[in-house]
Amino acid sequence: MTRFAHAVREELWSRGRLIESRLSHGEAFEDEQGIVAADTRDDALVAAAERELDRLRAVMPEGFTVRLVAESSTEGTTGTITVRTDTLSLVTDPAHIREDVDLLLRGAGASPAVPPAPRRHVPMLWLNGSASILLHELLGHPLEHDRESPPLPPWLHVDIPLSMRRATFRDVPLLRMQHVRATQTDAPFELPDERVEITLIDSGMYDPLSDTILLRVAASSIGAFTIHERRTSIAFIGARGEPLRYPGVICSREGQELVVGSSAPVMLTELR
Amino acid sequence: MIYRKQGVVARWENGTLIRVTECGIAIEEGEYFECRPDVGRGFSPPPRGRRAEATPYVDFAVQSLRDLSFERLIITHGFAEHECEERTWHDETDRIHLSLVCGRLRALVDSTTRRLDDIFTIADALQRCEQTERARPTTLRLAPNVTAALLPHLVGRVPSNVRLLQTAGGVDGYGNDVVEAAGPWPNFYRPTYRVRPLRMPLNLRLECDDTHVDDDAPVAIALLAPIADLALRVLVVDRQRVFPAAVTVTHIRAVSNERIWYPYGGGSFGASLML
Repeated sequence: MTRFAHAVREELWSRGRLIESRLSHGEAFEDEQGIVAADTRDDALVAAAERELDRLRAVMPEGFTVRLVAESSTEGTTGTITVRTDTLSLVTDPAHIREDVDLLLRGAGASPAVPPAPRRHVPMLWLNGSASILLHELLGHPLEHDRESPPLPPWLHVDIPLSMRRATFRDVPLLRMQHVRATQTDAPFELPDERVEITLIDSGMYDPLSDTILLRVAASSIGAFTIHERRTSIAFIGARGEPLRYPGVICSREGQELVVGSSAPVMLTELR
Repeated sequence: MIYRKQGVVARWENGTLIRVTECGIAIEEGEYFECRPDVGRGFSPPPRGRRAEATPYVDFAVQSLRDLSFERLIITHGFAEHECEERTWHDETDRIHLSLVCGRLRALVDSTTRRLDDIFTIADALQRCEQTERARPTTLRLAPNVTAALLPHLVGRVPSNVRLLQTAGGVDGYGNDVVEAAGPWPNFYRPTYRVRPLRMPLNLRLECDDTHVDDDAPVAIALLAPIADLALRVLVVDRQRVFPAAVTVTHIRAVSNERIWYPYGGGSFGASLML
């Protein structure tokens, strides 16, 4: 029999005012018959979640809508900060909040440099580690569904370990990504004059039935747009540099939201 | 405003049975909302090591549906007791969330354990369905479950010849009576103690002066994709032929007054409807 227990403290702040505060705790016991769960309190986990919340609150930026989530469980303690402007949001942590809020402000202020181009013929340059979200949908979710990876170029290595994870004690654990970490070896490319530069992704989805991915790009050189393609339509042209951490990714499947650490080098793709 | 809820729910989720016991409190003070478990007030938590037990409803539904070709099957049954400002009430949850698949088609079903016949009809039709989309028939009937899914999307854009109404009966998330209304919506939906109640219509129904429905018309029996605006992708049965078709709801010709409740939005009474 396995036991999972956790405590979660959550706060929602709007421009410096606390408007929502939540405490959740419980434990779940699982055996071959199923799962029995209850909102039992573990004082040590609650105290650890409170300490983590204090740490998040201390670095919370002003002037935004901010959600702080501090979780302490039998699997460790995590803290995430979601920062929202009127149009964009990203997920970060105390170690990266300054640089990520800068990125958010740049994305929010960016206006399309050129009118939207005929998409299929224009290469896409994935900046700020955003290629990890493409790979999350292209490889990660299919892996969770036991689907084969489409052929990747030899210069691209993608590490996506899976494990049984759950969002709350009320949930059934599912085989989920732990992280997406892409690296490249000797994959130079010539920067095309005409290109779409992608900086922030709003959301993504993989449909196992049609084997398609859908990505809603929130900020790019042509503004927001959507990519909806078969997995085999994405061609990887090249990459440069070390992997860049993409601001935290909250992945939702079966209604369970989990943080998936993501990083990738700057990457150039095109649609076949 | 203080709200308390305690409940127990059994959920069969894609092969795993989970039984959850909870008790919680939610406090609202102006724009501020707070919630937390209310341990000690509610049901006794199950002892460690106790086996998960399905309710008879869940067990019956699982046994009935488990041989279908599905991508997702979630069956939920539970009981809850509520208290808000001196008012107390209780309710029962009965939900089936199902994605049936055949080839590249996916039929989406939200229903209850009382409507299993609908599910078998859809599953059978899906197995016989052509994979290529066809033009929608000029005259098309929507089955009650499809209409029920459509109703929440009609809020704010109802064709002029029909009336979208909240149906009186039961209580809302504050324990207030759900009253007959056509908007602005006076009641609140509270699916869990962990979220702030949301003002929205409950138990919607659609009325039309013309209630004549042609039972021989081709019928859309299931959704093949989530509804976007008023665009539907549906599974159409036209005598022996079954095919996918895209439909945009711009005009409604008639709505039957025989209604069936489905768990869409804050509840929705579906009825046969002629486009």
